[in-house]
Amino acid sequence: MFKRTLLAAALACAFPLGFPSPALAVSDADLAAEVAKIRAEFDQKLKDIQTAYEARLKEVESRQQAVAAAPAAPAARQDKLGQVGSGSSFNPQISVIFDGVYYNDNKKGGGVEAMEHIDGINHSHDHEGHDHAELERGFNLRETEIVMSATVSPYFDATLNLAVDSGGGVEIEEAYFDTRALPAGLKLRGGRFLSGVGYLNSQHPHSWDFVDQNLAYRTLLGDHGLKDTGVQLGWTPKTGSVYTLLGVELLQGNEQVFASAGEEIPDDVLPGVGGLKPKYAGPRLITAFAKFAPDLGDDHALRLGGWVAHGRQHQEVHDHRDENPLAKVNGLQGDSTLWGLEAVYKFDAPGAYGEGDLTLAAEYLWQRKDLEVAFHEDDPAAIGLGRKFTQDGAYLHAVYGFAPNWQAGLRYDITGMTSKVEREGAADVGYEASDRWTLAVTRRLTEFSLLRLQASSANLYKDGDKDRVNQFFLQYQHSLGAHGAHAF
Amino acid sequence: MRILFAVIFSLVAQAACAGSALNVVATTASMGMLAREVGGAAVKVDVLAAPDRDPHMLQAKPSMMRALRDADLVVVVGAELEMGWLPAAINGAANPRLLPGRDGYFEAAAQVALLDAGQAADRAHGDVHPAGNPHVNLDPTRMAQIARALAERLSKLEPAQAAVFRAGAQRFATAVEQHVPGWRARAAGSPGGVLFHKDGNYLFALLGLPILGYVEPVPGVPPTASHLNSLTAKLKGQRGVILHHAYQPAQGPQLLASRLGWKTAVVPLEPAKNADAGAYFQLIDSWVAALAGAKG
Repeated sequence: MFKRTLLAAALACAFPLGFPSPALAVSDADLAAEVAKIRAEFDQKLKDIQTAYEARLKEVESRQQAVAAAPAAPAARQDKLGQVGSGSSFNPQISVIFDGVYYNDNKKGGGVEAMEHIDGINHSHDHEGHDHAELERGFNLRETEIVMSATVSPYFDATLNLAVDSGGGVEIEEAYFDTRALPAGLKLRGGRFLSGVGYLNSQHPHSWDFVDQNLAYRTLLGDHGLKDTGVQLGWTPKTGSVYTLLGVELLQGNEQVFASAGEEIPDDVLPGVGGLKPKYAGPRLITAFAKFAPDLGDDHALRLGGWVAHGRQHQEVHDHRDENPLAKVNGLQGDSTLWGLEAVYKFDAPGAYGEGDLTLAAEYLWQRKDLEVAFHEDDPAAIGLGRKFTQDGAYLHAVYGFAPNWQAGLRYDITGMTSKVEREGAADVGYEASDRWTLAVTRRLTEFSLLRLQASSANLYKDGDKDRVNQFFLQYQHSLGAHGAHAF
Repeated sequence: MRILFAVIFSLVAQAACAGSALNVVATTASMGMLAREVGGAAVKVDVLAAPDRDPHMLQAKPSMMRALRDADLVVVVGAELEMGWLPAAINGAANPRLLPGRDGYFEAAAQVALLDAGQAADRAHGDVHPAGNPHVNLDPTRMAQIARALAERLSKLEPAQAAVFRAGAQRFATAVEQHVPGWRARAAGSPGGVLFHKDGNYLFALLGLPILGYVEPVPGVPPTASHLNSLTAKLKGQRGVILHHAYQPAQGPQLLASRLGWKTAVVPLEPAKNADAGAYFQLIDSWVAALAGAKG
């Protein structure tokens, strides 16, 4: 009610002269003229308003068109942070790698088994819960890799790598975090991861150039290389034109071929003499590595490196009763050391799809286990006697892109050039070297799919007898989802 | 003692000199050109990818990691062009300044509107870039916009030189404006051409010319016989030219050319590593000349 009164008052103020006073006496004609004049004025004003609005409308429309015509016109003095990504990148990024082989050999399917029992200082371990290398003649589904990775926060990235075997067993291959923001070229990694030592060690099977692991790694590090739980500190110092990476790792030393603690004498063994020490507190395995790469321009890249791994507690139980019922069980303990050298050379040719590219890689590994007899089933005199196990191994491989998306790989690998046990109070034992030649031809259909044909011929020694093992693989690999960049 | 002082002095002097110029690493030669044009004497520019290599297919090399280790800024084409190698190289460099999202990471593709953005992220269509076509370096007008954005980024890192950077970007943009009418006039009336890969698209759009086809059946897959047959059938009787780079296999383009009675032209995707704007404009000239040559 109050509002309406206010409105009336306002109108009265606004049009004080709008309503001529009836008190003034005027003629009809005057009135008619007045009305005509007001109408004309009103029409004119209306027209003016219309044209003014139309002009404004036109001007705005033309401005709108100009904006539409140049949608990318830069807002003055502005730049955008970050990167343009595909709509397909989830958080976390997920990829799945499918891997399968057709396999055959000249041992009625016993070729892989023969690889496991090569003469040397490391016998096949029962530790690895499932056996990666187990292959049937014919079609095999190999491990399916599932990889997830993401940035956790401004300070951490994290990666998970699961391997699912054909029986459905799942193993955590890697589960680690990396720091993002440490200064001075430092990076810290923690969790379970493939060690940064050597060249091939940190590569997953889907980035190998061959179907299987080389003999040197297989016998001295295990089929999957050196993988353990702990921390890794990497440092990339400023070293002018040479790239340098220095690293040190503190690892638990669990279930490694050369670093394994907490072993136990089988329950059914007669109580003998001596005993194995309890597990030391971790970390029991320490590694250090250094990699150097000079700048050789656009076409060439070379990286040289060396590393050492020291296990301060290693135990193994020798139980050969399966092969010889009269064999006596004994246990050894001590420490172990592994040295490695690596060299990688890559030539990047101008050809498309990898044509003309060449990779040469070579590594040498030397292992010593410095042990003593800690337990013996029936020989008290043996307790405390030293047993020094030494073995080395090497591989050399070349991969050449002989046509767009086609690669040929040649590999020579050998283990046991030096392979011996120095026994205190007994004669030394030596083993022959086992070696192998491998040829692989890879056809990359796209960046995400490959077919590989591989044939190898190996001279393997088992119990001092030479055996020729020929193997044949036809492999496919597909990768699905986010496909991360591959390291050098 | 005096020698020691001399050594220390020279080291300090070196450090001071090194600190005076921004350390910029560009992934490709055209990004390096842009950084040099904008940054002038206030930047020192390293280029990672050799200009005669396919920028999709490089490998992360230790020398790249070394260059990135000391960089203040990395200038990237982006839109996933370098995704096969740059993340690994940045990771290996252990230089947190260069992580995407920080001031030290500049992506050219993020500064401009991209062609083909929003395609289905389906690899049935090859190695597609769903974020859009990343080959913005062949569009001088977009490069001018990128130069302006780069000037702002450099100003953020080195505020004292902001005027130099903005003037550099303006100089480049003006030069582009002066060149564009000439390129358009020269190319006018050309029937267009066949590309090997979807990398000349921006330049074709700028010149208003049609792309008649691609030698690759889908991006990232080498030409197949059946695809070349269907291209031949489609283009028979038309005029045009087939453009490809030196690193792309010549057999496919040559076969197609002989069937259609066209010419092939080898044109560069990138200028020389130390190129300036002039060399970049010559690169565009060579594309324009090849397209104008198809007028017949």
